[in-house]
Amino acid sequence: MKWRISRIALILVGQLSLVLLNQSCQTAPAPPEVARALEQEQDLWRAGASFYAPEIYETYRKQLAEARKFLEKEELKIGIFRDYGKVRNKFAEVLEKGKALQSLVEEKKYALSNEIDSTRKELLARQETLNTLSLDLGQRSYGREQLTQAEVKLREAGRLQAQGKYELARQRLEQASALLNQAENLLRRQLERYMNPEEIGRWKKLAEKAVEKSRSGNQLVILVSKLERKLIVYKGGVAIRNYEIGLGYNGLNDKLHAGDNATPEGEYKVIKKVTPSKFGKALLLNYPNEEDLKRFNEARKKGLIAPSIKIGGLIEIHGGGKDGLTMGCLALDDPDMEELFRLIPLGTTVTIVGTTDPNNKIISILKKEER
Amino acid sequence: MKNLMKVSVLGLMVFFLFTSCAKQPTQQMDEAKAAIDAVVKAGGNIYAQDELKKLNDELQAAMDEINAQSKKLFKKYGPAKEMLAKVKADAEAVQALIPARKEEAKNAALNALNEAKAAFDEAKALLDKAPKGKGTKADIEAMKADLAGLESQLTEVQTAIDSEDYFGAKDKALAIKEKAAAVSEQVKAAIAKVKR
Repeated sequence: MKWRISRIALILVGQLSLVLLNQSCQTAPAPPEVARALEQEQDLWRAGASFYAPEIYETYRKQLAEARKFLEKEELKIGIFRDYGKVRNKFAEVLEKGKALQSLVEEKKYALSNEIDSTRKELLARQETLNTLSLDLGQRSYGREQLTQAEVKLREAGRLQAQGKYELARQRLEQASALLNQAENLLRRQLERYMNPEEIGRWKKLAEKAVEKSRSGNQLVILVSKLERKLIVYKGGVAIRNYEIGLGYNGLNDKLHAGDNATPEGEYKVIKKVTPSKFGKALLLNYPNEEDLKRFNEARKKGLIAPSIKIGGLIEIHGGGKDGLTMGCLALDDPDMEELFRLIPLGTTVTIVGTTDPNNKIISILKKEER
Repeated sequence: MKNLMKVSVLGLMVFFLFTSCAKQPTQQMDEAKAAIDAVVKAGGNIYAQDELKKLNDELQAAMDEINAQSKKLFKKYGPAKEMLAKVKADAEAVQALIPARKEEAKNAALNALNEAKAAFDEAKALLDKAPKGKGTKADIEAMKADLAGLESQLTEVQTAIDSEDYFGAKDKALAIKEKAAAVSEQVKAAIAKVKR
């Protein structure tokens, strides 16, 4: 009898073990929400949720991990005790949160794309302004390397933006902005004197003196304003001719010595009418005048000019075209020069100033940039 | 008594039967992780981003399975081992894909660089041929400076290629090509201005 009971018990233990083994090892299919949540997490990662909404993404991941732990716990239970309804709810909550996160990421990306777009447009406009300013100067190479590099960076930013690589696009925009700053500083350095009220005041007085001279003696006087690139002929205090001119490579600076390619500033006289000259007709000026000599000698004493460097000369108003670059002379289109040559007698006063207009176009641009 | 002993021994045998294979598959875990590390090292973060994420997820799923099994009375690591083996095999397959993708990206960057160089050389040659009269001197000076700016950008493309940033190099090269083409057009316009 005892032997029979033992055999039955043994069989029961064996069967129970098999049942337990079967129940505990068998994995019932998880609810579809589980797979959907995992897929959603992959999508969120791909969309850059960890970058655009790191904190919320982290919370979402924790929630997902908790849901997965819940699923694991549930799977530990013997099949008949498993409740996938709760698992489904947990994962549904995760999916809901993920959906909200997806929207947030999309919104942030959209906002960032718009921000990049507007910064890029702003920088492109700035690049264009500085480009115009650079071309307006006599020496057109100032800042252009930086302007070109900035343009390349702006183009790159556009490409990266189109690929959805917003962070890289933003980096390129920052680089472009830095290059534009460099270009602007180079241009400003050239134009520093043109923003100085004292300097403008001094030029204004010189210009007024020239106009007064033409009025008082009813004589012809030439007034040149370098920044505006204008040559105006006055008679009796009235402007009777107005020509556009070209300057030297370094035309906006005041000439100090030979080879600096700058155009002198001050009061000069026409000392010779040259025809034919190298560039059509020409009016030779008496550069250097006394003031030029004084400045040159002072600079040499201070060691600012090497002993081998001379003061230079042969500064003319000549033809050849206003689009040209001179070594310091003033260039007019040939028909204008022909007319001027006929009009101007020897001894005519030629006053050359930087500018007389404190609100001229270039200064306005720089002031706008400053703001 | 004898029978009780028999039953106990049998019970213990059944217990050991189910728990004897309950050792965590540490070797497979290490191998799977090493295979993923190798993908990262080969540039997976750049050239196989999606695949790498998938591998990490698969590894995580395998680890979760191991974790779940470790809490069970009757542990069954067979499926986890299979998952880890799949991670390893997938990682090796992804790693094998990377050199070709890298090469493709490199070739695309080099092609873009060559195109940018060609566009730059064309602009430079045009500029060298441009009549340097008084009327074009200022324009030519400006365009020379533009090309000098582009030349330094070309150097940056090469630097990017040397540091294996092929996608960045390509984008930059294409931007340079566009600008060089724009300069060429400006040079042509300046030449036309002189001819008029």
